[in-house]
Amino acid sequence: MNKTAVVPSTSMPPNAKKPMGQRIKDFVIDYKRQWEIQSMILPGIIFMIIFCYIPIYGLTIAFKNYTVIDTLSSAPWVGLDNFKIILSDEYFWDAVVNTLGISFLKLGIGFIIPIILAIMIYELNMGRFKKFVQTISYLPHFLSWIVLGGMLITWFSTSGLFNELLLNLGLISKPSNILLDSGKYWWIATLSDIWKEAGWGTILYLAIMSKIDPTYYEAAKIDGASRLRQIWNITLPNMKSIISLNLILTVSGLLGSNLDQTLVLMNSQNRARAEVINSYVYRMGMTQGDFSYATAVGLGVSIVSVILLVTANKITSKLNDNQSVL
Amino acid sequence: MIKMNKVLGKKGVKLALLLMTAMLVVAGCSSNGGSKKGSDVSIEDRYTVDPETPAWQLDKKSESTELTWYVNADWWNTDFGKDVVTKKIKEDLNIDIKFITGDDTKLNTFFAGGDMPDLLTIFDSNSPVVQKAATWALPLNDLAEKYDPYFNKVAAADTLNWFQLKDGKTYGYPNYSNTQADYDSGNIPAKTAFVIRKDVYEALGSPSFGTPEEFKSVMNQIKTQFPDMIPFGFNSIGEGTGSLGDVLQDFIGVPLETEDGKFYNRNLDEDYLTWLRTLNAVYRDGAISDDSFADDGTGFEEKVKSGKYATMLLDGTPQQGGNLQIFMSANPGKEYIAIDGPQSTVGHQPTLNQSGITGWMISYITKDCKDPAKAIQIFTYLLSEEGQKLMNYGIEGETYKANSDGTVELLPEVKDLQLNNADKFKKDYRMGEFMFFGHDRHKALSKDAFPESIKQMQEWGQGKLKPHFILENINPDQGTAEARGLTAINTTWNTTMVSMIRAKDDAAFDSTLADYKAFLDKNSWDKIVEIRSEKMKANKEKLGIK
Repeated sequence: MNKTAVVPSTSMPPNAKKPMGQRIKDFVIDYKRQWEIQSMILPGIIFMIIFCYIPIYGLTIAFKNYTVIDTLSSAPWVGLDNFKIILSDEYFWDAVVNTLGISFLKLGIGFIIPIILAIMIYELNMGRFKKFVQTISYLPHFLSWIVLGGMLITWFSTSGLFNELLLNLGLISKPSNILLDSGKYWWIATLSDIWKEAGWGTILYLAIMSKIDPTYYEAAKIDGASRLRQIWNITLPNMKSIISLNLILTVSGLLGSNLDQTLVLMNSQNRARAEVINSYVYRMGMTQGDFSYATAVGLGVSIVSVILLVTANKITSKLNDNQSVL
Repeated sequence: MIKMNKVLGKKGVKLALLLMTAMLVVAGCSSNGGSKKGSDVSIEDRYTVDPETPAWQLDKKSESTELTWYVNADWWNTDFGKDVVTKKIKEDLNIDIKFITGDDTKLNTFFAGGDMPDLLTIFDSNSPVVQKAATWALPLNDLAEKYDPYFNKVAAADTLNWFQLKDGKTYGYPNYSNTQADYDSGNIPAKTAFVIRKDVYEALGSPSFGTPEEFKSVMNQIKTQFPDMIPFGFNSIGEGTGSLGDVLQDFIGVPLETEDGKFYNRNLDEDYLTWLRTLNAVYRDGAISDDSFADDGTGFEEKVKSGKYATMLLDGTPQQGGNLQIFMSANPGKEYIAIDGPQSTVGHQPTLNQSGITGWMISYITKDCKDPAKAIQIFTYLLSEEGQKLMNYGIEGETYKANSDGTVELLPEVKDLQLNNADKFKKDYRMGEFMFFGHDRHKALSKDAFPESIKQMQEWGQGKLKPHFILENINPDQGTAEARGLTAINTTWNTTMVSMIRAKDDAAFDSTLADYKAFLDKNSWDKIVEIRSEKMKANKEKLGIK
C-alpha cells in the first residue's frame, strides 16, 4: 500500500479545528496505517475493562442494602440512604478529621524532608559514606508496619525506650504509656511514618539530580556562587517537575492513606484520634459486614480524591509554566 | 476509501458488541448467586435406610466419593487422609475430602460466584449467611429422613432446635454446642479463673481478695514486696474489653436479665461499677500497668509465659494452657493457681460463662453438594460416639486404651509424643484438632485432654458455671440502624471502661460514666434493648426456659 497517498492534504494550519467527519476519517486512516503498533495496546485495554471497569458495577451496592447472601442484582435498592447515614455518623466525621489531620502533617513535614535529605546526600562527597547513609535511610521502608508497629508498641510502653530516656533526662517523673495518650497520636503517626519513608522518598530526587549537567555547577563556581546558592539556583529548579509529580500523587492519596499504620497502633484509648477513613471502612465492611455502607464511604472518598488530584494538577501546572505533569 | 471505512465501521461495531457481550457475561457470572436447586441422588442401588444403623455402615457405593469442604479459617489444616484421624475417616466412609480455606472475602466470592463447595463451615452464627441458610444449604432434617435417620440419634435435639430457622428446619450443626444437659452433667470445665502465682500467694500468707478493701490492700502489698512484678493483669483489651468486661461481670455474678425477664445492661450494674472503682483505685496506686491496656494478645502471652503478673483475671484458660505450662515447667513451685478472688459486694454467686448452645464452628451441606447422602453420613459419623472418640483420642488399642470406669487414656508412647514432640504429634495423629463436631463432654473423658497447668483452675470452677443461653444471638440484625448503633456503643464502651479504670480521680470516673450514659441515649439504645428483649424471649421459648 502506498502510505504517502493517504496522508491528508495540509491546506489548513495544523492546529485549526477540522470538521468532525474529517477528523474521524483521519483517525481511521492513521489507525489503519499503524494497526500493528496500535494492536499492541489491545491486551492492556481488555485487561483494564475486565479488572478495572467491570468491577465498577460492584459500586452499585453503595445504593443497595447488600448482605453476603444477596447477589449484586437481587439486593434491594435503598437509593441514597447509605449516604444519608454517612452524613449523620459522627464516627465517620471523626475519621475524616483524623485522616486530614494526619495526612496534612505528613504532607507538611514528610514532603519536604526527603527533598532536604536528598540534597544533603547529593552534596556528600565521600562515595562510601554516601552509599552508607543512603542504605541506612532506605532500610525502615522495607519493614512492614506490622513489624515496625510491634517495635513502636514496645518502645512506647512504660518500661520502653522512650520512657527510660525521658526518665533519665529528668523530663518526666512517672512513666506512662505514650500510645494511650490520644493527644500525642497524630505526632506519633506522622513522625514514625517519616522515619519509615523519608529515605525511600529520596530515590526519585537523587535520580533526577544525577541527570543535572555538571557544567552548570562548574559555571556557577566560576561565577563565585556558594554551595547554598548553587542548590537554590541549579539543583532545586531542575527538580521542579519531579517535585510536582510527587506532590500530585501525594495529594490525591490524602484521604486513602494510613491504613496499615492505624490498624497496628490504634487501641481503645487513642481510637478517637487514631481512626482514619480507611480503617473505618475496613471495620464497617470486613468486621461488621456492613458492605453497602463501607462501599458508600469508599465511593465518596474516591470522588473527593479525584477532585483533589485534578486540583493539585492545576496548581502544580501553574508553578511549572502551565505545563501539566499529568 | 469509503467502502474501506464502512467495513471498518462494521468491524468497529462488531468489536464494540463483542466487548459489551464479554462485559455482560462476566458481570452476569457475578450475579447468578446460590439459588440453584439441590441435586438429588438416588440411593436405591446403594442401600435402604435403617433408623437403627448409621447409613455409612450400609452404603455399598464402591467408588470413593470426592467432596470439597470450605472452612472459613485460614489456619485450618487442609491435609486429609495422612494422619491417624483423617485416614480412619477416609477408610470408614470411603471418601476423599478436599479442604479449601479462606477468609470472609473468599466466602463472599463463593456466594457471589454461585459455585458452592459441597460442605461449608463458618464461625459467625449472627451473620446473614446463617440467617438465610435456607437459600443455599440443604435442611438436615430432610437429609436425615431421606438418607440417614440415625443422624437424629447422635445429634442433640436442643441444638437442632436452637438452629431451626423460620421454616421449621435446621440447616447447620455446630461444634462445642453445650446444652443444659451438658451443663448439668458437670462435664464442661470452667475457662475463667482468678489466678495468683503460688510463691506470691504463700509469701503474702494466703490473703483473701474478696472485698474491694481486701483487694486494694493486697495489691499494695504485692507492689511493695514484689516490685519487679505487675500486681494485677488481665486479657488484652480488644472487642469485648478483655477479661474486665462481661467476664468480670460473670465472675462477680451480675444478673443476666432484669427481674421481669428483659435485657439488663450489665455494664451499668452497681456491683460491677463498685469493682471498676476499685480497679481505678488500684490503678492510681500503680498496681495496674498502663501497658496492659495497649498490649496485644502476643504481648499479654509473653508476660504470662514469663510469670510477669502476680495475679490475673484470666479468661480462656485452655487457650493460655500452653503458656502457663511453659512457666510452670520452668519454675516449679511458682505455678499459677486459681483462688476465689473478687466477689460480689451484694452477695451474688459467680455465673461463669462457657461455650453456649450456639457453639463455635457451624457446618452446612450446600445445595450444590454432589452427594448429599454421603455428606450427611459424615455428620452422623463424626457426631457418633465412635467419631467423637476418634477425633479426640484416635483409635482404641492403637493410640488409646479404654479404662473400666469409662475414661480413656493415651498409650505411653503417644502421650510421650504429645508432651515432647508436639509438632510430630500434630502431624501424625492430629487428635483434638479435627474438631468439626467436637464437644466438651468427650474431652471430659480423659485426663490427657488438657494441659497439667490448668487442671487446678478447672477444678476450682466446678459448680460455678451458668449457661448464658438466653443472651446468645440477641444482637440486632446486621445492616440495620440498630446494629450500627450497637457497634458504636460497643466501641464507646471499650474506651469508656478503660478510661474509667485509668481515671485520674473520682470526678473523672463519674464524668466518663455520665458521657457513656449520654451516648447510649443518643444511639437508639431503647430500640436495641427492645430488640434484645424480644430475642431473649424467643430464645426462652426455643429452649423451654420459663
